[in-house]
Amino acid sequence: MYVGRVDAAVIISHSSIETKQLSTSQLRRIYTMRQTTWANGQAIVVYTLPSSHPVHQEFTKKELKIFPYQLDKMWIKLTFSGLAKPPIKVNTMEELIDAVKSTPGAIGYVNQNASLDGLNVIAMEAK
Amino acid sequence: MKKLFPTISILALSLFSTVVSASEKLQWHGFIAQGLIQAKDTNYINDDGDVSTELTEVGLNLSYQINQQLRFAAQAVYINGGNRYNEGGRVDYFMLDWHAYSDENDNTHIYVGRIKNYTYLYSSVRDVPMARPSIILPQGMYFDATRDLSVGGDGVYINHKHDSENYGHFDFNISSSQSEISDKQKQIMLGDFATGDLDHKLDVQSSVYWQPSDFSPWRFGLGALTAEFDYEKGTGDAFSDGKLVLQRYTANFNYEGEYWEFSGEVMQERFRLENLYFDGSLVDRFSQGIYGQARYNFTDKLSVLGRAERFYGNKDDRDGKTLEASSGGLIPRYFAYQHTLTLGMSYDFQPNLRLQLENHWIKGAARLTPIILPDPVTNNKEDWQVWALQLMYWF
Repeated sequence: MYVGRVDAAVIISHSSIETKQLSTSQLRRIYTMRQTTWANGQAIVVYTLPSSHPVHQEFTKKELKIFPYQLDKMWIKLTFSGLAKPPIKVNTMEELIDAVKSTPGAIGYVNQNASLDGLNVIAMEAK
Repeated sequence: MKKLFPTISILALSLFSTVVSASEKLQWHGFIAQGLIQAKDTNYINDDGDVSTELTEVGLNLSYQINQQLRFAAQAVYINGGNRYNEGGRVDYFMLDWHAYSDENDNTHIYVGRIKNYTYLYSSVRDVPMARPSIILPQGMYFDATRDLSVGGDGVYINHKHDSENYGHFDFNISSSQSEISDKQKQIMLGDFATGDLDHKLDVQSSVYWQPSDFSPWRFGLGALTAEFDYEKGTGDAFSDGKLVLQRYTANFNYEGEYWEFSGEVMQERFRLENLYFDGSLVDRFSQGIYGQARYNFTDKLSVLGRAERFYGNKDDRDGKTLEASSGGLIPRYFAYQHTLTLGMSYDFQPNLRLQLENHWIKGAARLTPIILPDPVTNNKEDWQVWALQLMYWF
């Protein structure tokens, strides 16, 4: 369990999603495109920041417990071999928040300073 | 099965044109890569051995989510590898992805149309420069000369994912497809004296991958394939009506740590030629290949690669003595094997702009073409090298 998650990213989703908690395994399955639907059957639309973005680095290492290069490799393979719908990359946190707010089924992550109005916040299950 | 492709195309295109697209449903991605390459002492890249720009790879793909269960995905590529394979444009994949089953632990996808094969570590990304470990892949496993036969075809691919709390992640794959064989591909395999038609009759591939737990850095895989080709001789043909059978078994592993990555594959392949040389002739041999590679990531941008590979064209004639003797000395023994040491480097100027450099030190010529009738006049050196560099951009 993390103590004092000052640097940790916050997981957000579209307000229509009722999921309030995810385990690290579930979150990782979503971000590696193994799980593509929410518990209610709705398709998940995955948003990410560029891999060099500090919030992405933080999110990847602390929440997904995977190295950013591994995620990049996996996404490139899925994207260019046609196996799965790749995540949608946006350039800034503001763009990401707007996209998650306006896209049913969307999931994303922001840092702790971001305004979370109009978003569903998903807590990480303590291990 | 070949008739399936036009049907799927029409279906997908009509769906595509009638559904109003939204950005989260429609996605475009692409890549462009250009390099320089040289293999001075062999015909691997070109016949004169000069530095070549025949190292071009361009691709453009789209993914369109039609509804919750159906997605359309297609990619067109242009590739030029000199003598390595047939230069030109191709429909790389063009398929409907049906998410047939889904619950918390299990997901099944059925892909129909022009599919790719996903059996080995890099089967589906051999022409995707930023997704493979080096510009030239280990030739025992990823033989350039049979690229068009191995990469995929028109058919069906089924993938089932099982995620278990206790036993980790499993991926089960099975596919069946056939590809059209171009004249150039036929020439690469059989040489200039084959005037007939080579027809891809059967191709079934299966594999299973296992990651022992959610957070394990290890992944292991097993694969098997069987493929059959019929040859119908042409006028004045050096060959007879015959059949080529390829059967392959493979195992692989992959480790991804923070700085180190390790991977390796091993395979045995049955290569059987029935009646091809003359009615009643039979070649039935087993080739074997193995490689291991390590990558060290110095930083997010810079990494180096080292790899060692061994390949034997015939496990019962590893040093080529029988090959040389049975050809009356025409085919030197080094055509029985091909062992390679590789050193490479990769630098990312941007997260999507990469330069790769590498050199291969090679002993033997078992993976030089043509396959059926080797060319010892052009390929007259047992020890030879290939160097390559390639700049790649993707979005």
